[in-house]
Amino acid sequence: MPIPTLAEKLAWLKPAPATPYEKQCAAKIAQGDYEIGVQVTNDILDEAMEVFVRASRSYFGVSGDSMVALFTAGGDLINASCGTYLHAIIQPIVIKFILKYYEQNPGIRDGDIWYTNDALYGGIHNPDQVALMPIFYKGQLLGWGTAALHTTETGAIEPGGMPVSAKSRFEEGLNLPPIKIGENFEIRNDFLEFYTVYGLRAPAMFISDLRARCTTADRVRVRVLELAEKRGPDYVVGLMRKMSETAEAGARKKIKALPDGKFRAVVFNDAIGWTPALVRACYLTLTKKDGGLVFDFEGTSPENPSSYNVHPQAVVGHIANFMYEYIFHDLPISSSTFAPIDFLFPEGIILNPDKMAATSCCVYIGMQARNATHNSFAKMVFSSAGLWRQVAAAPGSQHTAQICAGHSQWNLAVSDVLSFSLNTQGQGGRSAEDGMDAYGFAWCAFGRAPDSEQVESELPVTVTLSQHWKDSSGPGLHRGGSGGVQQWMIHKVPNLVSLCMGNGSKVPLGQPLFGGYASSPIPGISIRKADLLKQMAEANPNLTMDSRTILEGHTIEGNWTMELIARTPKVYEEGDLLFGFSGGGPGYGDPLERDPLEILEDVKKKIISDGTAQNVYRIAYDPVRRKLDAEKTKQLRDEERRARLARGKPFDEFQKQWSKLSPPKEILQYYGTWPDAKSTGPCFRP
Amino acid sequence: MATQQKNRLRITEYLDLDLDSEQWMCNRCNRVIGPARENYKKGCLVHDRDPREIHPPLVSGAFNFSPDPLWVRIVEFYCPGCGTQVETEYLPPGHPITHDIEIDVDRLKERLQKGEFVIREQRLEAAE
Repeated sequence: MPIPTLAEKLAWLKPAPATPYEKQCAAKIAQGDYEIGVQVTNDILDEAMEVFVRASRSYFGVSGDSMVALFTAGGDLINASCGTYLHAIIQPIVIKFILKYYEQNPGIRDGDIWYTNDALYGGIHNPDQVALMPIFYKGQLLGWGTAALHTTETGAIEPGGMPVSAKSRFEEGLNLPPIKIGENFEIRNDFLEFYTVYGLRAPAMFISDLRARCTTADRVRVRVLELAEKRGPDYVVGLMRKMSETAEAGARKKIKALPDGKFRAVVFNDAIGWTPALVRACYLTLTKKDGGLVFDFEGTSPENPSSYNVHPQAVVGHIANFMYEYIFHDLPISSSTFAPIDFLFPEGIILNPDKMAATSCCVYIGMQARNATHNSFAKMVFSSAGLWRQVAAAPGSQHTAQICAGHSQWNLAVSDVLSFSLNTQGQGGRSAEDGMDAYGFAWCAFGRAPDSEQVESELPVTVTLSQHWKDSSGPGLHRGGSGGVQQWMIHKVPNLVSLCMGNGSKVPLGQPLFGGYASSPIPGISIRKADLLKQMAEANPNLTMDSRTILEGHTIEGNWTMELIARTPKVYEEGDLLFGFSGGGPGYGDPLERDPLEILEDVKKKIISDGTAQNVYRIAYDPVRRKLDAEKTKQLRDEERRARLARGKPFDEFQKQWSKLSPPKEILQYYGTWPDAKSTGPCFRP
Repeated sequence: MATQQKNRLRITEYLDLDLDSEQWMCNRCNRVIGPARENYKKGCLVHDRDPREIHPPLVSGAFNFSPDPLWVRIVEFYCPGCGTQVETEYLPPGHPITHDIEIDVDRLKERLQKGEFVIREQRLEAAE
């Protein structure tokens, strides 16, 4: 059984050496032709992405949480349109697997449509599915076109595609190793039938997204063939080889310009499935030596019997999201940029679990690897003249991933996520400015909050408020970007089933940078038998839709529940309310250095409260007129600095007391040994 | 901000590395924090803060928008000269302090000497 080993996967991430034919073709590409060719590939992929967004049905598809990409005949990524960079570096694993094992049986032919969603074979997790089409020109395999997208259903033991309670891969629904699903440019009917039964909870979305992936991959294929017809196949092959080499040279130049050393970061997670539990989700030692980087995850907590594990290449995918948003932002999206980067994954950690592990909620752990990468990179690149402006704290990644399943007001079966609270997370504070408010999705920088009216027309909910979430962002010299909050009322159906994935209710996710503070945790909040509709019907003059006032004053009456963000499937009835939060970004730098006028602006925009302005930022002002008292502010800040000097202890003295502490034993059941997180025994799965 | 010096590099917003003396220094007040081959945090003043002081609960109960102080603390590192908050870590109580920056000082000096880097405005520029 050729499930790829870790060594195979890591080797397949690296670009293959150029063949003599590729070298010959690349040598013929003149500079002007190269530049035009690069732009043509951009245009092909952007056009295909437009097709993808318009053809998709799930809210991830509509939000653009997807990637369209072009690969060489040998399976190395050349360029992509994103969407999300999550899939960018790791898809070569899938193509190289197909080339290695399936070239003879069932064979790779013109018109084939290949498909996979299995993380064992190179994906992220099983809701992320990819269609792949070989591009043949007159019998010559020129390359591959692919289209990847997250669909919020997999036929698992819970709706929504990310079953929180799955204990092994056998409870996750559809897990397809790479498989040929179509021939002669048509999807096979027997596969469609097989596939459809996994999507019975939401057939329209499930099948539409499948077809959207295939038609998008085909659009890439068609446009590349047009280019080959116009310029010749040697031009296409040479162009791709040259793009790969240029991208690799660019990455090596950036890495070489950094100081050598070791840079460490540690990040924690507070939920394993439905269970509040502390784990060291990522302990990263990043080593820069000469021209290369090594990510070593030794010290990370062991794997566990839940779906909160992540296969190693999916960790690389999360790191790619950081690298392309910040460090490689000006390089082509090509797997060769990771040629100088190596990874060490000890066996049996939460970032490298057994093949039977459930990983459908892997993103909550993989994100912590990204968050650790932010901090390690910040400390490595701040001294670099070329890169210091790219330093940023991790994005806000806690969020309410609320799934709605059941029948819509149109009596159609639905199972989808309310994605506003995903795609409006705050960016981390940056070295030269604040993080952007509601900048996007930590997993997909280009994710867009869906149109509320479209959501209301397709799902049985009404969006009753949609705001920045006050005090969600981490304070700092450059504060984190604000997250958002929506309130959803079950509407026009008697009831629906809802559950929520997630983490970040007990511990802030993502460390701040250079003296800033992290962003706020989020609880799961619902109000059953809420009187909001009644208040509206009675035109209550005191009705407020300010989220902070509602939360603090319980101005909507009903049965309030505040619990862990990850919540089991429950039936909610018409009129019940759910709250959805997107995390703010952690802060950068000492909050006492933040410009007081910017703080007042934050208060005015309801990004922060008066309490934060006064108690964390230490500014003095007239709260009614919001006029700064500069002299008093200076006095307050000087006092706070003196107070720090008075209460701060020398390191050794601090250590004496600190090292005697530990968290309660009952939250450490999945942590491993305290504090070094070593495995305490084998992980048993059903 | 500190006076610019030829062999002084900015490693973080508040932490400079003086390559001549091989010392960590505060970027804001020039205070020597400690040897560059050791963890700079050993030269800082350290405070264990209850996270509820920064992220106050908005509602009652165990899930309230505030980090749980039994799960996580804010460890604050201050410059002993000026009280600038140089770094913070959100750590479970008792969790080892992270040795986050370990620059290979010898290699850095070697590369500077070879002309691979120049220091301009306290930052490294790779020689073309």
